[in-house]
Amino acid sequence: MAIFGLWVINKAGGLVYQRNFADGLAQLTSNEYLVLAGTLHGIHAITSRLSPTGSSSGAQVIEGESFKMTILLTATGTKFVLLTSLTETTADPVLQKVYEVYADAVMKNPFHTPEMPIRSEGFDSRITALIGSGLP
Amino acid sequence: MTIYSLYVYDRHCACVYYQDWHRSKRPKPAVEGGILNAVSSAVSPQIVVNTNAANSSAFSSPRNTLMSSTGIVVAIGEETASPVLQPASSEISRSSTLPFDEEAKLVYGVILSLRNMIKKISGRDEQFVSYRTSAYKLHIYETMSGYKFIMLSDPATDGLRFVLRQIYNGPFLEYVVRNPLVPMDSHEQGIDNDYFRASVDRVVRGLSVFT
Repeated sequence: MAIFGLWVINKAGGLVYQRNFADGLAQLTSNEYLVLAGTLHGIHAITSRLSPTGSSSGAQVIEGESFKMTILLTATGTKFVLLTSLTETTADPVLQKVYEVYADAVMKNPFHTPEMPIRSEGFDSRITALIGSGLP
Repeated sequence: MTIYSLYVYDRHCACVYYQDWHRSKRPKPAVEGGILNAVSSAVSPQIVVNTNAANSSAFSSPRNTLMSSTGIVVAIGEETASPVLQPASSEISRSSTLPFDEEAKLVYGVILSLRNMIKKISGRDEQFVSYRTSAYKLHIYETMSGYKFIMLSDPATDGLRFVLRQIYNGPFLEYVVRNPLVPMDSHEQGIDNDYFRASVDRVVRGLSVFT
């Protein structure tokens, strides 16, 4: 039971927020995170076209052997991605809460430019309150 | 709960086998040259009948003596393609679906990218296992030799890796690897044959999640 990280990807596939909370996954550079976010954005679009039956959403959960990525796509195209351990059951409610925090602390902030990286102490501290600081 | 389809890819990124069950949106047949021979008769390019005469000489192979007209076919794809009869039901929802060769490339692209992404994020030699959307779940099992077994199922199913492993351990080894008439790694032939297809079908239909 652990939450490893949170990504926020804007509707163009750019990574606007990235934060680690626990050790267990590789430490990557911010450039590598940007590339991964762009890849995920593309894969997400393709997975919705591969449906064998009816119409489908994009990928919602992607599982590896020791962790999973839960993806919340909002109506505006922003994606919230939570990296957790496989047994973590609270990923979906946590993402909903993150979305609320995002709406309150980022979208209502008059100094924030939409689609640009999130640099807001208010958002940071509310995410810390929600998920934890990641510091021991 | 159900199983939709099975894809097998070799280590050269080529789709070598395809089979589907309960699939309401079936792919269009592939375009000529889009996929290998002997992947699946249901999605092979449809050959116009009058070109058969011209092809028959070009494709004649010494192995053709093994193609008896009686008994079960143990390796197919070497005979000249006969026009495939499509089930009438598959004609209905064709309009918005992709041709099979395009679909096969997209599936491969997705699993390859996700595999690399999982490896990168974990920092270990970790395998990508599955992903889920609102309509389906994709499971993957990769063998040491680079064969990738991919199964699409209902989103509510648990991990199906053991089934893919079972298909590899059972039908695949028995009717593909141990079948001298199936050229593996050939870049031009799939691995479809009647025994393999029937055996995979038995394994999948015997699952508790298959209804």
